[in-house]
Amino acid sequence: MYQIHLFKDPRHFQILFQSSFLIYGIVFLHWSSPLWIYAAYFITGIVMHTICEAGFTSKQLPVFSNKWWAKWWMGMPSALISSYGLCLFLKTNTPEVAISASAIAILSKYVIRINGKHLFNPSALGIVLAVLWSGKAWINPGQWGSGAFLLAGILTVGVIVVTKVQKLDVSLAFLGTYAILLFSRQALYLNWPIDFFTQTISTGAVLVFSFFMISDPKTTPNHPVARIIWAMMVASIAFYMTSFRYIVGAPVFALVLSQMLVPLFDQLFLGTNFQWKYFTASTLKPARS
Amino acid sequence: MKKQIIKIICLLLISPMLFSFCGIYVSKSDGTLKNKASQVILVRDGEQTVVTMYNDFKGDPKDFAMVVPVPVLLERKDIRVVSPAIFQKLNAYSSPRLVEYYDENPCYSRQWEDKESVNEKSIMVTSADSYRIAKKNKSGVTIEAQYLVGEYDILILSAKESSGLKRWLLENGYKIPSKAEEVLEPYIKSNLKFFVAKVNAKQAGKIQKGSFLSPLQISFSSPKFILPIRLGMANGDGDQDLIIYSFTRQGRIESVNYRNVEMPTGNNIPLFVKDNFDRFYGETFAHKWEQEGKNIALLEYAWDVTPVNPVKCDPCVGNPPVDQDIVQAGVWWLNNFNQQNFQQTFFTRLHVRYNRNSFPQDLQFQVTPNQTAFQARYVVTHPAEGDLTCDQGKAYLKELKVKRRKELRNLVYLTGSTIEDYLSNTEPDSDNDVAYQTLLPEVEQERESERTIFPGMALIAVVLVTGAGLMRWKGMI
Repeated sequence: MYQIHLFKDPRHFQILFQSSFLIYGIVFLHWSSPLWIYAAYFITGIVMHTICEAGFTSKQLPVFSNKWWAKWWMGMPSALISSYGLCLFLKTNTPEVAISASAIAILSKYVIRINGKHLFNPSALGIVLAVLWSGKAWINPGQWGSGAFLLAGILTVGVIVVTKVQKLDVSLAFLGTYAILLFSRQALYLNWPIDFFTQTISTGAVLVFSFFMISDPKTTPNHPVARIIWAMMVASIAFYMTSFRYIVGAPVFALVLSQMLVPLFDQLFLGTNFQWKYFTASTLKPARS
Repeated sequence: MKKQIIKIICLLLISPMLFSFCGIYVSKSDGTLKNKASQVILVRDGEQTVVTMYNDFKGDPKDFAMVVPVPVLLERKDIRVVSPAIFQKLNAYSSPRLVEYYDENPCYSRQWEDKESVNEKSIMVTSADSYRIAKKNKSGVTIEAQYLVGEYDILILSAKESSGLKRWLLENGYKIPSKAEEVLEPYIKSNLKFFVAKVNAKQAGKIQKGSFLSPLQISFSSPKFILPIRLGMANGDGDQDLIIYSFTRQGRIESVNYRNVEMPTGNNIPLFVKDNFDRFYGETFAHKWEQEGKNIALLEYAWDVTPVNPVKCDPCVGNPPVDQDIVQAGVWWLNNFNQQNFQQTFFTRLHVRYNRNSFPQDLQFQVTPNQTAFQARYVVTHPAEGDLTCDQGKAYLKELKVKRRKELRNLVYLTGSTIEDYLSNTEPDSDNDVAYQTLLPEVEQERESERTIFPGMALIAVVLVTGAGLMRWKGMI
């Protein structure tokens, strides 16, 4: 069996998918946010990435040296993914809020670090802080509608499975637990007709969250078992927040809360830190399974 | 160029239709409207909510009854009646509008009396049911409280199980739909109470025939910001319209479990639509609703109505709500001097057309800090009159032709229907050359194909795959 390596770097896959969701949202779902907001997220993200790379560089790596630029370029997809995360979730009409959310998102990667890993998913932290602190930003899972995204979800999982571009463990553990909990409450306990449940789960917000936000390997526990338990915990908190506290965009809030516990999980389960890297030449050869 | 004088033509369509909010009742509408509709005012700040339900019931007051699921046990002080005039005022203020402009004759500089006039599209309300006197309290239904408010007898019920509640309602004369149980059970398990109102027998005699019943206003504190529409569609009998007016301190309200879509606005449409504006808006709404997949909330109006804000509409179709109206609608913070920006008030009007298939869940909302103003506004332009034989006049006619073609195209695009019906009773309004009738065949030929989502998605997929393929080929990824 030949394995397809369409993407050398999982982040390319993420960028490709997130940009198609963004285009779909703007063109077909008529998201009403002004376009400058997206520009603000991206420009701030890139500028902040450059500033942080320069500010937090080591002595061996002088700023603007060739090696520094190479490192800068390596980190660029992550900065873009953070900006995409903001584009797909965070809505605001205030430029300052958009700029600070994007800046804080990137900055948090360099500043809030424990055991050599950054603690928070940058875009999740940016979203949560913008919503809670500024009071001028909001999340709306309703912007995706529902239905059409079932197809997009299947497509996403399909591509991940075929290309083995990223690990599915965290995504599926979260999605499975979240779906089971919601199904148990909405369909089994409250006895709503089944389409009540499908309406909740088949929105683009859940999809993007599961495959492009919580799955970030840098901010999940290192040990495989710990990852699964942790993802199930995020799902349970999100379920509680959405079903009993009526919090809009609960998974993002649950994620930021749970990420504070990642170092604890890493203490309890010893594993190895994840490093973004290109596949080496050997992995590019057709692999036999 | 375009000076404006406001001329208001009110086509208030508030015709004798009967009320049902979250209606589980049979419609007795006069048949002029395709859809049943209800109106509701939502006021929300923090967890405090005030809901006012409009009541256009004109039948025998004894026949009126309503059932509304509420999240908490309401006390007497939480329930009051308000004047129905508030709904008419809000409706008139926020209705979709038609604006008229007059082109100036470029051949002579006579000052035309340019006008802008505003035409109003309005709303419909529906349906009711009969109610008999309560008998016994069996089957696990508890009457938590009983109040006389205005002309209403109000009961707050809680129930242990849905079949008991259904039986109780049926025994007491509520013709609830056969499928209501599928909704009652989840409501009971979600700890909702049931607010049940009928007109008090003594008060019923005092109500003059043909006069409106008072809208009921309830206030409560709950993290849930939900409008229970599911009960009204248990039997799935077609589409129902719901107009939601909301007042908040922060900004617009949005649905969080359905997509929010803005109505098309600012479009230039043919002059002959002026006589058919109601029909035009009805078709535009229906077309947009279908195009967007039906399960959406459409935004029709959004504006900052803070008492100190001098511009509450532009153009205005009805008087903007003043302090008194806002307070009447349930806003409690206007005189709360302790709060910062205590007078800040934002108004939103949403229009939802729901049915069982497209709306499996109750409407769930959130208050957003979005204060962007919005109005559904359409523009007609009167052509210049008089001799247009000068050079500028000829150029103007050429321009007019282009403009009118675009207007016809807009009409097709917005309403999704054919134009001939509109034109059949209309005399050509100007020279043959630029008359809509002459231009119509040209436009029909180039008629834009309907935009659909899937070809678009396919296009994006092709572009992305090609892009990825190219990048792969070039060794970039």
